[in-house]
Amino acid sequence: MSQFDRLLSGVWTWIFGDLSLLDLVQTVTDGLLFGATYAIIGTGFALIFGVMHKINLAYAASSIAGAYISIAFASLVPLPAIVVFLLAAAASGAVGYLIYLTCFRFIPTSSPLATLMATVGMLILIDEVIVHETNGMPQPYPALFDSVMIEWGDFGLRGDLLFIFGLSVVATIALVAFLYRTRLGVATRAVAQQPVAAQLCGISVPRTNGTTFIMAGLLGGLAGAMTGAAVGTLSPLLTLPLTVKGLIVTVIGGLGSIPGAIVAGLLVGMFENLALAVRDVQERDLYVMLLLFLFLWFRPLGIFGKSSARD
Amino acid sequence: MKQTFVIGPALAAFAIMGAAPGTLAADREVHIAGFGAKSGVVRSFGVNTEAMMRAAAEHINNSGGVKLGDGSMGKIVVSFYDDRCNAEEGISVVRRIAGTKAIVGVGPTCSNVAEPLFGILQKKTGDGKDTGLQFPIFTDTAIKGGLAKISEWAFRNVPNENEMYQSLFKWLRKTHPNLKTVYGGVEQDFAHSRFTWHKVMKVRAPQAGYKVLGEAKWLLADTNFTTQVRKLKKAKADIIAISAHPFTTCGVLKEMKRQRVKYKLLVGLTSSSSMETLQGCAKQAEGIIIPTSFAPVTPAAKVAAKLGAKYKGSADLHSAAAWENMIVLKGVIESMGVMAKPDTLKADRRKIRDGLAKLSKTGGLLGTITRTKEGEAIKPYLYVHAKDGNWAVLHDPGK
Repeated sequence: MSQFDRLLSGVWTWIFGDLSLLDLVQTVTDGLLFGATYAIIGTGFALIFGVMHKINLAYAASSIAGAYISIAFASLVPLPAIVVFLLAAAASGAVGYLIYLTCFRFIPTSSPLATLMATVGMLILIDEVIVHETNGMPQPYPALFDSVMIEWGDFGLRGDLLFIFGLSVVATIALVAFLYRTRLGVATRAVAQQPVAAQLCGISVPRTNGTTFIMAGLLGGLAGAMTGAAVGTLSPLLTLPLTVKGLIVTVIGGLGSIPGAIVAGLLVGMFENLALAVRDVQERDLYVMLLLFLFLWFRPLGIFGKSSARD
Repeated sequence: MKQTFVIGPALAAFAIMGAAPGTLAADREVHIAGFGAKSGVVRSFGVNTEAMMRAAAEHINNSGGVKLGDGSMGKIVVSFYDDRCNAEEGISVVRRIAGTKAIVGVGPTCSNVAEPLFGILQKKTGDGKDTGLQFPIFTDTAIKGGLAKISEWAFRNVPNENEMYQSLFKWLRKTHPNLKTVYGGVEQDFAHSRFTWHKVMKVRAPQAGYKVLGEAKWLLADTNFTTQVRKLKKAKADIIAISAHPFTTCGVLKEMKRQRVKYKLLVGLTSSSSMETLQGCAKQAEGIIIPTSFAPVTPAAKVAAKLGAKYKGSADLHSAAAWENMIVLKGVIESMGVMAKPDTLKADRRKIRDGLAKLSKTGGLLGTITRTKEGEAIKPYLYVHAKDGNWAVLHDPGK
C-alpha cells in the first residue's frame, strides 16, 4: 500500500469509520429514496410560504391526519393501497383548506405572529384528535411493493421506497405543470409575486390562497401516506419529526423555493441516513441540526433562496 | 424480623373459585389507584393493566370484598390514570393520586417514569428531614432492574430479567450447541430496552458461551431501519436478540424480511411477548423466543386471563402482575388491619407500606413469588415462542 493509499484509507476511516464504499453508496441511496418524503413535505411548506409569505406549522400534522382518515375509510370498505394513498391526499387537501379558513383567512395580516401561533394551536389540536381517536396506538398502513427488493450482489433497492420516490417525482412534475401550465397556476404565481397587482388584475386572492392550501394538502397527504407505507404503520409520533424536518428542508432549500425544497429534502434524507450509519442513532438528529445551522451561517437564504425585491 | 405472609394457596383457591354474584354489601370503599401509559405507542400496556386491575377488583368484591381492621367489609374501588409514559406526567399523576382517597398506587408502565417517580418518594421511612411523598407504590410493569431500592415506599412485582435471560441463554446453548454468535438490536431511548440489552442480554450471552458480534440501535419513534438492519445482516449472527417494544420490534422484523436477513434464532424482549407484537407482525415474528412470567398454563392464570378479557384487556406478563398485585394488596389490607376511613388515610398508607415490606413470599399466577428486602420480586417464568399467530409455551425451566 502506497503512502497516498494509506493516507486516503486513514482519512476514510476517520470520517466514515468501518463503513465500506458499498455501504456508503447504499446508505446514500436509501437516504435519497427516503428523503423523497421530506422533499414533498418541504415543497408543501415552500408552496404556502411562497404564496402567503407565512409558515403553516400544522402542515405535517394535516398530512398525517389525511393518512389516518384514509385508513379510517379503508377499515369500513376494503380498498386497494393506491386508492388509500389517493384518499389520503384528498383528505389532507380538505384538512389543508380547513386550516386556511381557521388560521389564515380571517386573521389580520397586520399581525404576523397571529397566523404562526394559530397554526401551532392547530398542530396540537390535530395531534390530540388523532391520539384520542386512535388512543395513540400505531395503525397498520398498506404498502405497495413492500416485499420487493431489487438486488445486485450486496447492493439492494427497496421496491416500496422506489415506488415512493417515483410517486414523489410524478407529484412534483404535476405540481410544476399546474403552476406553469394552468390559469390557476399563473394566478398562484401572480399572487405570490404581487398580491395587490394580482388583485387589480381581477385575481381573487382568498380563492387563490385557498387553492394553494388544497394543492399543498394534496401533496402533504401523499407524503403522509408514503411515510406510513414506508414503515407499514402510522403513528401520531410521526407528526412532530415530519414538521421539524419539513421546516429544516424549507429553510435549507430557500423559503418559498420549490426546487430548493426538493433538493434540500433529498439532501436531508441522505445526510440523516449517513449520520446514522457513521455516528450513533442518538446523534443523528444533532448532525441534521448542524447542517441547518451551517446553511443559516453561510447561506441563510438557502440553496435557491432569493432576497425578496419589488418588481 | 421479616415475617412471611404466604398468600400462595389462598391466591390460587381464590382465583379459581366461582364468583358469587351479589354477596354481602360492603360497609366501606377501599380506593386503589392504578396509573400507566394509556396513550402512545405503549398504550396497550396501560389498557391491559387497567383491565386486569378492574377484573381483580370485581373478583374480590364478588367474593365478599376485603375485611377491614374493625371487622367490617370493604369494597375495592379502582381508578386509573394516564401517565402517557412520560416522567413529568407520571409524577404529576401520582401527586394527584396522593391527594385522593387512594391508599396505594399500582403502576407505572414505563421504567422511565418509575425511576424519577420513585425519586420523589420519601427515601427512608420515618426520616423527618425527608419531605418526600409518603405514598406506597406497587409496580406491575416498569421492569428496569433495581429501581425499588430508590425508596422504601416503592415495591415491584416485576420479573427479574437478569435471571430470566441468564437461564434462557444457558438453555439455548444446551439445546442449540451449534449456535455460537449473537447480534443485538436495541431501542436506545427507552430505559427498559436499553438496560435489558446493555446490562442483561449483552452480559449474560457471553457468560453462556456466546460471542456478541455487535448491536444495532434505533429510537422508539423510528420508522426507517434500513441502515441498522443492513449492519445486522452483515454480522451474520446465529441469534438475533431484539431488545425493543412491539412497535419497533415489528418495524425491524419487517425490514429484516425485506433484506432477507438469515438467522437461526430470534430472541425478544419480555415486554414484546404480547398480543400487540402478534397483531403487528405475526408472520415476521414466527419463532421468536421470549422469557415471560405469565402464560395461561395454571387454573388461576386461566381464570385471570378470562376475567381480564371481560374488561377488553389481555393477560400478559405485565398485566397479570397487576392482577397479582391486587390479590396481594387484599391480603395486606386484611393482615395489617387497614381501616379505609377518611381520618385513617395516612395511617392506612403506612400500613400498606409496612405490610408490603414484611412480605417474603406471595402467591403468583404461575407459582410462588419470593420478595426481596429491596422490595423486588423473584418470579417463576417460562419461555414462550410465537407460533401460528399465538404465544405457545416452549419450555418451563422450573420443571
